[in-house]
Amino acid sequence: MRAMLDSRHVLDSVRPGEQWFCYWKTSASLWESRIQDYPKNEIIFIPVYWGFHAEENGTWDFGKYHPERDLVRLISLLTQYNRKFCWLLPLTPAPFLPNGGLPISSARTLSLSAEGMHLACLDQDGTLHKMYSFFEPKVIKYFASFVHGFGEMLTQSKGKFHVWGAEFSFLENHVTTSFLEDSSISFDQGFSRYLRKNYPDGVGLNLAVDEKKIKTSFLSDMRNLIGSIAQDALAPYWDGVQSITVFGSSPRDTIERALETGKSQTHYFKDLFESYISHRWFSTCLLTSKEKKDLLKMCLGEHFSSNEIEHRYHYQAESTDLSSDFRPYALIDVFDHYRPSVFDNNGLKPFIQDSFQWMYHLHQDLDFTPQWIDRSHHRVKFFHADGMERTLFAQMLKLFMMGQQIVLDISQLSDELDKRLQVFYLENNLKIQSVNFLTSIDLCELGEGRFITFEGDKLKTEEDKVNFWGHMFKFLNMDHPLVELDNDIFTLWRIRATSPHELNYLDVRRVNFYNPTSYKKLVSIQTQKKFAFMKVIDPIHAMAKTTPDGVEIELLPNGKLGLEFGHYEERK
Amino acid sequence: MKGLNLIYHFHSFQNSDQEFMPASYRILYFFDEEGFVSPKVILNLLKAFPDSDFQDKTFMNLDDLKAFALRVAEDLEVAQVRLISVQDYNIGIDGAKDIKSYRELFNKYGDALINQQSAKKKGLFGKFFS
Repeated sequence: MRAMLDSRHVLDSVRPGEQWFCYWKTSASLWESRIQDYPKNEIIFIPVYWGFHAEENGTWDFGKYHPERDLVRLISLLTQYNRKFCWLLPLTPAPFLPNGGLPISSARTLSLSAEGMHLACLDQDGTLHKMYSFFEPKVIKYFASFVHGFGEMLTQSKGKFHVWGAEFSFLENHVTTSFLEDSSISFDQGFSRYLRKNYPDGVGLNLAVDEKKIKTSFLSDMRNLIGSIAQDALAPYWDGVQSITVFGSSPRDTIERALETGKSQTHYFKDLFESYISHRWFSTCLLTSKEKKDLLKMCLGEHFSSNEIEHRYHYQAESTDLSSDFRPYALIDVFDHYRPSVFDNNGLKPFIQDSFQWMYHLHQDLDFTPQWIDRSHHRVKFFHADGMERTLFAQMLKLFMMGQQIVLDISQLSDELDKRLQVFYLENNLKIQSVNFLTSIDLCELGEGRFITFEGDKLKTEEDKVNFWGHMFKFLNMDHPLVELDNDIFTLWRIRATSPHELNYLDVRRVNFYNPTSYKKLVSIQTQKKFAFMKVIDPIHAMAKTTPDGVEIELLPNGKLGLEFGHYEERK
Repeated sequence: MKGLNLIYHFHSFQNSDQEFMPASYRILYFFDEEGFVSPKVILNLLKAFPDSDFQDKTFMNLDDLKAFALRVAEDLEVAQVRLISVQDYNIGIDGAKDIKSYRELFNKYGDALINQQSAKKKGLFGKFFS
């Protein structure tokens, strides 16, 4: 019976995951019972299928003609059953909606990928949804009219509502691409109009780089325009914009998912974990029951369910101090400020991918808020100076002054920032220790804070890079068990405060291992005389045994297991 | 979608900045029913084609691309390889509604090439059951 219920859950296209409720996929007469199916404590996220509400005469129907469009009734049902809910308004084509969510009358030009392929995505039930360009002028007009009508409907419903703008994207070859991006003729025509407006005297696009830059700013302006139209119309309810990577929606995914073998669990795990380390939220709404089975389903349930969802949407305050609940734990923050290749070239990324698998976060921007700074205090932060702006530079130094460990690759450091750095050293009377090991390294300390600079472009060979980072991390002395595992094993670490009967520990760390492959895999964990193995949790097709150095695990195909370690002070 | 399928992007350049840029045929996706052809296999075989830009997986003419596709088919011992341009793929997408019609677009719009070596290798049983 339980298995039957579980499979019904997964097959459910109305409730495809991440607490979504797709109201247009079921009869309005079933809304009441479907709403009651949701646990009372969970927030229900309702994607808005705006094209579904379009009437032929350019007006919007919120229930006057069709009961399935009756959002006023939907709101009253949600309120009646005391459910917390929020709306997800697509700000881009949405890969789970017919025509990307656009009304038929404005779906005129199919979106094109950078390679010139039409963007089309396979839904849970095998329907092919084609994405249409948002650059078609009619789309913006219709969108503005819809959000205005939607806002009026919410106002008339008199309640405290929450609306998130959702920017949907796909993940292919480690790169996330927004569904707003488009290379169709509609984009080109819009770009011509943009050039005429912003460069009335003409612009010489002799170099492909120039054209790319202006196209990027056109895309960014368009993104801002769509966001501001929605925000203005829905100001009282607006909670912000959430980027959502839709798994299985890239052009490559569409091909792979159409194959007899389909997309493997391992590949979905890779997508999930890449999104996790890049701090991007995701949706599994396109995945079939066959795709979202076994281990993937368990992993989603264990790490990305209600608590994590509500953190992502900021509906749960993130406390600075550890609590009795486990929270995700990482050791490293990498800030690339939109130039990720620097950390590929200096060898940091390959090194941490190998040695600190899934224990790091990749950021484009620095979230310089007190809450984030406190919560990430224990993580070593890596920056590079290529294209670094003054604000980021100043914030990075402030983090060091606050006692954080900062490592900066100073290759390409501008003269201006170099001068500022020298002044900073002088003003704070910092003693610099210089070392020459494969490259020039400068280190200074202030309280608990460490600031290390090095010249990454002097690390030429792969051997030098591995050697350099190996020594660097040894010096940084990461307080964490050492894990040796295969690339296709996925791990997630979490941390919690100790309970009264665990007073000897500083904290408790739990790691979950998942083996989505069809091979047996071995994992070894060295506790490094700082961690005591406590217990094994929920092993499935897996076993663990203790060794003098730590723990060894055997994971059979589709195997998973969790381990808990107590962290204690090393006796000196 | 049986056999190998190759989706390529044909790009015809105009004279750009006084420099003549020839047309190019770039491999985007290469797969069979089991999944994508390993990038290592593609790269290794591409290196045997001196006129190709192996890093960008690009050929200067369609004949070279076809010869390469057949070479991969021979290497993987697959009987047939279908080439489909992005332009034809898009025409197919326009008419496809679901996974079934999506799969068919490769048969409908792909240009099938037969791997003669594989055909020759067919033994007595192969001939009976083909």
